[in-house]
Amino acid sequence: MRIVVLLKPVPDPGEERLGDDGRLDRSVSAVINGNDEYVLEAALKLVEAHGGDVTLLSMAPDNLTDPIRKALAMGATRALLVSDPALAGSCAWSTTQVLAAALRTLEFDLVLAGDDTSDGGAGVVAAGVAALLGLPYLSRAQRIEPVDGGIRVERLSPTGHDVLEAVLPALVVGTQLLGEPRYPTLRGIMGARSKEIAIRTLAEIGLGDGAVGGARATTALLEALPPSPRNAGRIVREPDPTVAAAAIVGFLVERRAI
Amino acid sequence: MAGGIWVVGEVDGAGALTKLSREAATAGRALGEASGREILGVVVADEPDAAAASLADFLPNVLAVRAAEAAGRAAAAVVASRVAALAAAADASPAYFLLGATPDGRDTAGMLSARLGIGVLANATSLAWESATGVVPDGPRVEVQPWGGRIQTRSGFTADAGIILLRPNMVAAAPLAARGRVADGPSGSVSDVPVVRVVERVVVESPGPSVEEARVIVSGGRGVGGPGGFVALTELAGLLGGAVGATRAAVDAGWAPYAIQIGQTGKTVKPALYLGFGVSGAIQHKVGMQTSDTIVAVNSDPDAPIAEFADLFVIGDQAAVVAALTAALRARAG
Amino acid sequence: MTPVRALGRLTPDQRAIRDAVRTLARERVAPRAAQIDRSAEFPQDLRELLAEQGILGLPFPERHGGLGADLLTICLAIEALSAACATTGLILAVQELGALPLLLAGSEEQLGRFVPGLASGRDLIAFALTEADAGSDASGVRARAVRDGETYVLSGVKRFISQGSVASLITVFAVTDPEADRHHRMSAFVVETASPGFSVSRLEHKMGIRGSPTAELLFDGVRVPAANRLGAEGDGFSLAMRTLDRSRPGIAAQAVGIAQGALEAAAAYAGQRRQFGRTIGEFQLVQGLLADMDARTEAARQLLYTACEEIEAGAPDAARWSALCKLVAGDAAMAVTTDAVQVLGGYGYLDDYPVERMMRDAKITQLYEGTQQIQRLVIARALLAHAR
Repeated sequence: MRIVVLLKPVPDPGEERLGDDGRLDRSVSAVINGNDEYVLEAALKLVEAHGGDVTLLSMAPDNLTDPIRKALAMGATRALLVSDPALAGSCAWSTTQVLAAALRTLEFDLVLAGDDTSDGGAGVVAAGVAALLGLPYLSRAQRIEPVDGGIRVERLSPTGHDVLEAVLPALVVGTQLLGEPRYPTLRGIMGARSKEIAIRTLAEIGLGDGAVGGARATTALLEALPPSPRNAGRIVREPDPTVAAAAIVGFLVERRAI
Repeated sequence: MAGGIWVVGEVDGAGALTKLSREAATAGRALGEASGREILGVVVADEPDAAAASLADFLPNVLAVRAAEAAGRAAAAVVASRVAALAAAADASPAYFLLGATPDGRDTAGMLSARLGIGVLANATSLAWESATGVVPDGPRVEVQPWGGRIQTRSGFTADAGIILLRPNMVAAAPLAARGRVADGPSGSVSDVPVVRVVERVVVESPGPSVEEARVIVSGGRGVGGPGGFVALTELAGLLGGAVGATRAAVDAGWAPYAIQIGQTGKTVKPALYLGFGVSGAIQHKVGMQTSDTIVAVNSDPDAPIAEFADLFVIGDQAAVVAALTAALRARAG
Repeated sequence: MTPVRALGRLTPDQRAIRDAVRTLARERVAPRAAQIDRSAEFPQDLRELLAEQGILGLPFPERHGGLGADLLTICLAIEALSAACATTGLILAVQELGALPLLLAGSEEQLGRFVPGLASGRDLIAFALTEADAGSDASGVRARAVRDGETYVLSGVKRFISQGSVASLITVFAVTDPEADRHHRMSAFVVETASPGFSVSRLEHKMGIRGSPTAELLFDGVRVPAANRLGAEGDGFSLAMRTLDRSRPGIAAQAVGIAQGALEAAAAYAGQRRQFGRTIGEFQLVQGLLADMDARTEAARQLLYTACEEIEAGAPDAARWSALCKLVAGDAAMAVTTDAVQVLGGYGYLDDYPVERMMRDAKITQLYEGTQQIQRLVIARALLAHAR
């Protein structure tokens, strides 16, 4: 199976901040988006079981390769990074166009993407990519397995799960239930040195005409504030649970919560 | 004429309109009034009538689109395809689309964005119509709290067009005094959607109240110690009219289903009241719930990180306190 | 954890390895550290984790299944592990120490026989030089290896041998020529602990690194093939000294790691603990303590990294570099952990918090692989040799 995993380098959760230009500061050290690690693990397991290879696809500034190297160290085969100064400040719509254009330059059976991104992403890009490329789209996957000529996915539903099937090539969005991602072994880390990270500009994927990027953002951040501070909390150390419970009830009444 | 506002209703597994769609319709009506734009409800399903009728309780005009190709198929792509086609064919094409921020809603929004070439603002906790400022025209302004609530943002669209995904409980659903009209959408089937067949629907558990919609959440973490502890939490949640939530640790241990996991790789919630029992409040969980209005936590570890941001932190044995609290609440009710 | 970046001097591979070990340390090792100390049990699960992740392969040549890492990279890994648990960091440090005589003086045939098992982590190796009456004065070794055809018969007792009870291979230093002078009478052997006559006669109860078994080893007529002798007869003492020149940075790395762990614990506590209406981190006396702790830790770290680079580059004064970094780091670890307990005040004295364990763990870095006093002798000797 030739699998492409959409991988987003994001700030370490908890370290996100806005730069002076009002955009997400991408100069802080980056990690693999948490949800992307689950689908990467699923991709690695699929090729271990059924053969094939895993290509990483990212859209990011080209100095953020540490997360891509980590993903290569985990076992991905190669990476394609679309990087262009025009992309700074891109919205989800631009990202969708760019990833779709990059995918048009690749051959694949399956595209995997994570549920949403921890840096404030809307979680809509993968669906948009599927629509642009006319790919069957299967989201909320807790299990992915190839079947004859196609793919079967267990999709989480409010009451349990639905079993979906579609032909390949397809795009699947996965969840944490696909399984814990492996640690990159040190051997993997040292082997990743020789794996390819191909860097492409917008022009090289056919989007050099200024149709996408920060200048064409569909949304604009107008204001960003720290949230209203919480008042300092109360701490109660009370060994008698009945007294502790009464304290909680009193507090809830005071706050009009009950 | 300036483009209207379409509220795309979501239909649940039983063919009914979701509660969040009613809230979206109410919010859409308010936006319509503030902006002077026409508002329309749209329901796309293989059997849309019941949901369309419900949506008409909230909107003056609703279009029921019978999409035969939706039967036995994953819904979002069909909805997006039909709505996009309707929008393109409409005499006055819509400028804005409102949907609930559910998994299907996000999927539909992403596909609509790609098909129509317009932007998306997701996870709105507040929505208003405002006049133009430097970079944005007259239009909707959306408040979102990304990064686990560490920042509060207000955003708009750079063109007079966009898709907005609304979080639960942003507004209370308010029906119209007089029910609106339902018209049938164009018939026929559309075949530009790649087929994703639903081969089987597996029902594993009866759904408890959704954590995302609940006003009260009773949540358990590693300190709960086992599935039995969650039985006690379920009872307590029932007394408070709330939902049960869980941390990643409890879900990984198999004590609670992933559907109620709150946190970085689970759900984000903003209830009026969050009670955490045996929850440490480490960042994986914290980012999913720290914007709750009131946070009460019980933990035997005095240094649990949750102590730093809880409004009331009780150092004690969570099982004993849950039992005592349940008894105390029963006594108040009785 | 506060970020420790060292962007300037580490290669991308070194950074990636350090970050990977650090993640493992934070997620898998740190949660076990208190329990390892309390139970004083060797953490077999973490030993297996280190083996699986290839960490135990770092010191070994690639052609025999290792990762061929340089000294700095090995020390980065020891440092990262030790910040979470000094006992776990020691597993890698001892694996390197025990194997160094083999790596420095072993023949290709010996490397081929022993290294694959060591690199995969299937075999642990310990370093047995010290005896009850031969500590700082290593030349006072009395264990005896008598040649008998193609074997040696090994008799004696070794004391204070780290991981001696869990290793399957022991590098043993024994006298082969009692008539020769003190620095030429010993040879080094790789001994398999499955051999008849080998036993663990005692396990010590220690102040710190309690999960690392410190054993007294009895060799009672153990037959060792001559093919297991490392280098020539009489090379033992100089091989031991050359080993320590490369292994002392590993202990310095352990010490820097312990200091870093204590510093982070103290800083986190200072940011949370409130007294007199504010966090104690807002008080200047506490800030002063923390700043001095950071300065000492960072200075020790940078000296360690420099020493690793110098030794790896073949510096003729490797002994001086090795002793300098171990001296500075050991004293830094003791000072920083003591101050960490101070920052936590009364709570720092309780085992509810990790700093008292870190303080107990730190002490050994001033004692083993050469006491701080021995390090000073090594440094002074090097200085005075140049001064002549």
